[in-house]
Amino acid sequence: MTDMTHPIPRNSRLEQLRHRFLRTPLDIAVTAASLLLALFVGWKLLDWAVLSAVWTSPDGLSQPCRDASGACWAVIEARWRLILFGVFPYAEQWRAAVATAALILAGGLSCLPLFWSVIRQALLWIAAFALFMVFMHGGVFGLSSVPPAQWGGLALTLFFFVAVVIVGMPLSICLALMRRSDLPVIRGTAIILIDGVRALPLVTILFTAALILPFVLPGWLQGDKIWRVIAGFALFFAAYQAEVLRSGIQALPRGQEEAAKALGMGYFHRITRVVLPQAFRNALPPTINQLVITLMETSLIVIIGFFDLMASGNAAYGTGEWSFAYVEVYAFIALIYGVFVFSLSRYGRYLERRLRVGSS
Amino acid sequence: MTDTAIQIRRMNKFYGSFQVLRDINLTVRKGERIVICGPSGSGKSTLIRCINRLEDHQDGSINVLGTELNEDVGSIDLIRREVGMVFQHFNLFPHLTVLENCTLAPMLVRRFSRAEAERVAREYLERVRIPEKADAFPSELSGGQQQRVAIARALCMRPEILLFDEPTSALDPEMINEVLDVMRELAMDGMTMVCVTHEMGFARQVADRVIFMSNGEIVEENTPEAFFTNPRNERTRGFLAKILAH
Ligand SMILES: Nc1ncnc2c1ncn2[C@@H]1O[C@H](COP(=O)(O)OP(=O)(O)OP(=O)(O)O)[C@@H](O)[C@H]1O
Ligand SMILES: [Mg+2]
Repeated sequence: MTDMTHPIPRNSRLEQLRHRFLRTPLDIAVTAASLLLALFVGWKLLDWAVLSAVWTSPDGLSQPCRDASGACWAVIEARWRLILFGVFPYAEQWRAAVATAALILAGGLSCLPLFWSVIRQALLWIAAFALFMVFMHGGVFGLSSVPPAQWGGLALTLFFFVAVVIVGMPLSICLALMRRSDLPVIRGTAIILIDGVRALPLVTILFTAALILPFVLPGWLQGDKIWRVIAGFALFFAAYQAEVLRSGIQALPRGQEEAAKALGMGYFHRITRVVLPQAFRNALPPTINQLVITLMETSLIVIIGFFDLMASGNAAYGTGEWSFAYVEVYAFIALIYGVFVFSLSRYGRYLERRLRVGSS
Repeated sequence: MTDTAIQIRRMNKFYGSFQVLRDINLTVRKGERIVICGPSGSGKSTLIRCINRLEDHQDGSINVLGTELNEDVGSIDLIRREVGMVFQHFNLFPHLTVLENCTLAPMLVRRFSRAEAERVAREYLERVRIPEKADAFPSELSGGQQQRVAIARALCMRPEILLFDEPTSALDPEMINEVLDVMRELAMDGMTMVCVTHEMGFARQVADRVIFMSNGEIVEENTPEAFFTNPRNERTRGFLAKILAH
């Protein structure tokens, strides 16, 4: 409703608002109607989510909710452990909590500039995964063994996401570098791999990894289903991320690599010190994008029998007792995903500023 | 032999079927300053890029500091350590500070400690007269300053030979002199230099020999006095008339 031909008076904010929304009688009517609608919806939402909501149910039953008109947050109170940890043995769920916390902590630490070196990242994540396996899988230090089939909820989703990215990211760097090699064999291999994987839907790859690979691979190479699925998912991630990185590499002027060559730097140093830092910086926005998509797509693993965050959410309201409370459960799950996605995008923004994307 | 820096014999280079360089013969002694000029597309850049093997040659031989240039990766890296290069478009690393630009290769390639590399870097930044910009990023510098940093970066590797590919032609006129001054001082200190440039004043003052190229061939090789006052070749005369006209 702004009119570009008339300069907007700059004297005050109020004046600007008035000019934008209250200039003609029609403007006033539309503005008033919109405000009323927003107020109405906002009020209803507030009433449902807070004022008339049932926050707790002393005996863990749904009766208080059925009597009330608002949201039934009591379902979260009653079922949150199922949502976060799935069918992990109930008495041992503190272990899943510690394991998850280790991953989140490592994720947070790895974002600090202090950890921005290949060696430190590697050490950090090896430590985090060791900790995760000790607590989650157990079987050592007197902890009972809990196989991956019993993992679930947020713990499984996070583990899966982190494992896919940690395997997939180095793989994507390899593929992107191979793709621009001077040797036709290496370049060809990369192209076939990337295009081949991208020709397949993720579901197909997951099914293949989970169900078909066991018939093909020798027994000692099969491992648990979860490792095969992580490998397949990582390959899928790498194929897309490799192209994202390649675009970042191609945006570099040719002179950058030439300058490094002229200084006598070998291939490894040229790539790790000159090309990749700039390529990642160029490819930062699509990389964050790729990470968010991957986090969301982990919910697909439910189809091959994993009990991820989405699946355990479905289970949380899937009993007769709570079947009416699915909106509340989904809102809770959305909140969890939202926290992670929001942190990712904030971190992306911070990196963009810190790495001066766009300056050259 | 020991005082020969660069020896090129009967060298030919092709891009596909297109011959860029024809039968190039050139010997540069240590401490010599060579200026190469010639019309656009005559192969000047290609020639000096062959000297540190940013381009390969198909025919003939190039010997730099006693090492024959061929496919051998090890010898290429050896040569590149000893041969610095300054580019038309500076090619500083934009993600590193000025100081880091100067210390990166010495630390990785020459295995200097950080302290040693930084000491050397500050010394050369002093010499190119921008010590105060050590912690700035390249994007925060003017073109002339960037090119001086690029020269310092090349010097930090302590090269025997410096190649310049039109170091001033991307600069605004008022910045050209600050770069040429630095180059003159280098020449004074006895650095072996091969410069592609159209700065004829610089060539006259500094060069031991001027080489004129046309269509991939070395057409004339002469002392600066003779080159500017009494060129032997018809094409040289035409080129000088054009370039000295403005
Ligand atoms: N990568 C390449 N592939 C094919 N032809 C090339 C390539 N690089 C340069 N050439 C050609 O080789 C010839 C010599 O190029 P070169 O860059 O050496 O010229 P130059 O003398 O440096 O010119 P200028 O003064 O414009 O920099 C030109 O005709 C150019 O078109
Ligand atoms: Mg050129």
